[in-house]
Order: sequence, then structure tokens, then C-alpha cells
Amino acid sequence: MEVMDQLPHRFPFLMVDRVLERVPGVRVRALKLVSHTEPFLQGHLPGRPVVPGVLLLEMLAQAGAFLEAEPLGDTPIFLAQVLEARFRRPAFPGDALDLEVVPEASFGGLQRLQGTVRCGDEVLCTARLLLKKGSPLEVAP
Amino acid sequence: MSDLKHAVKEMIIQRLKLEGMTPDQIDDQAPLFGDGLGLDSIDALELVLGIEQTFGVKIEDEAAGMKAFRNVESLAAYIAEHKPTA
Repeated sequence: MEVMDQLPHRFPFLMVDRVLERVPGVRVRALKLVSHTEPFLQGHLPGRPVVPGVLLLEMLAQAGAFLEAEPLGDTPIFLAQVLEARFRRPAFPGDALDLEVVPEASFGGLQRLQGTVRCGDEVLCTARLLLKKGSPLEVAP
Repeated sequence: MSDLKHAVKEMIIQRLKLEGMTPDQIDDQAPLFGDGLGLDSIDALELVLGIEQTFGVKIEDEAAGMKAFRNVESLAAYIAEHKPTA
């Protein structure tokens, strides 16, 4: 599957480069390569480039879109809640980030997942996120 | 049934961290979502998990959820109807 078929995100906010492993509803592993040319590194921080922690969460959320079995088409996925997040070490230019997401529970378009960002054997970030399919403003049930 | 309704209210308060709220403050007929208790759609998953873990009752899909989640009364009725028999 093409990354851009599943995610509506585009430059500079598409944060999944390749899907490494995809078992819908069970587990997804995706790759994000960090380079010196990332727009956000220009200001974060001058002379000391570090990927902002919140963007690691965004990467996990985007990887989460590949847990869906069906192409998302016009139904994007939004980050609805960050339940837990821990940043153990920052990500730097040159890091190949291995994004792993595993679902914990789901109901009616909501999916709670456990995410881990690794670089090699090192765990950079662990988080639990809630994703919502559809409009972020929709009120249901 | 009123015991069950009380237990449902306690579960809602605990799972959704409605701090400072007591079961007595929740009306049996007040809508859970929107006006009333003011829950929103992202609370639904937490509620589904709470019902499963506290009462052993599974809410299978959105249609069942819509029916059960009207208010405390409908939720208690749903649980009573689907509770595994000991």
C-alpha cells in the first residue's frame, strides 16, 4: 500500500515514510527517517536540532491509520486523546525511527493504541493514544 | 434495579474521572451525552470498557451503544438484560 493512499497528510506534515509491517487490527510497524532538512528543525532548535516530542506522538498517530483494514479515503483519522506519553531520549537528524502501534481497544470509530518509537534497540518514546475516525467535531452517539 | 443504577453511576464517575461528582447528582433520566451529563463521543470507548470490566457485559456495536447510552436507566436495563447468569 502507498503511504499517501492511506494518509491525507502531505509535505511538510507527512510523517510516515514507509510501512514495514501491517496486520490490520493487530500491529503496524512503520519507518520515519529524520533528516537535517526537516522544516521543524529550523527553529527547534537553532544549532541544536531535536525532533519535538509532540511530533513523535504525531508519527505514532499517523502510523495508527494503517491499523485500519480499509482504505480511509475521505474519512481521515484524528488524534483525540493522549492518555500517556513518555520521552526517554530525543530523536535527532540521521535517526531511522521505527514506529510500532498495537491496538488496545476500539469502539465505534474510536481506537486506543499503544505506541513505541524506537531507534535501533533504543526506545525513544512510549505512548497511549486515542484515535478517532471521521470529523473531529462530530458529536456522537 | 436501583442498586444496579447506583453501581452504574459509580462506574461512570470512576471511569470518566468526573471528580467531585457523586452518584446522587446523576439523574436516572438525564442524557449521558451532550446536554445532561455532558459526555462526548470520545468518552464512549471508556464507558464500553468500564461496562465490560465492571459488569461483564459487552456492548457489541454502535447500534447497541446508542440504545444503551441514552441515560443511566437505559444503561442499567441493558446491563440487566445482558448480564451473564451466574
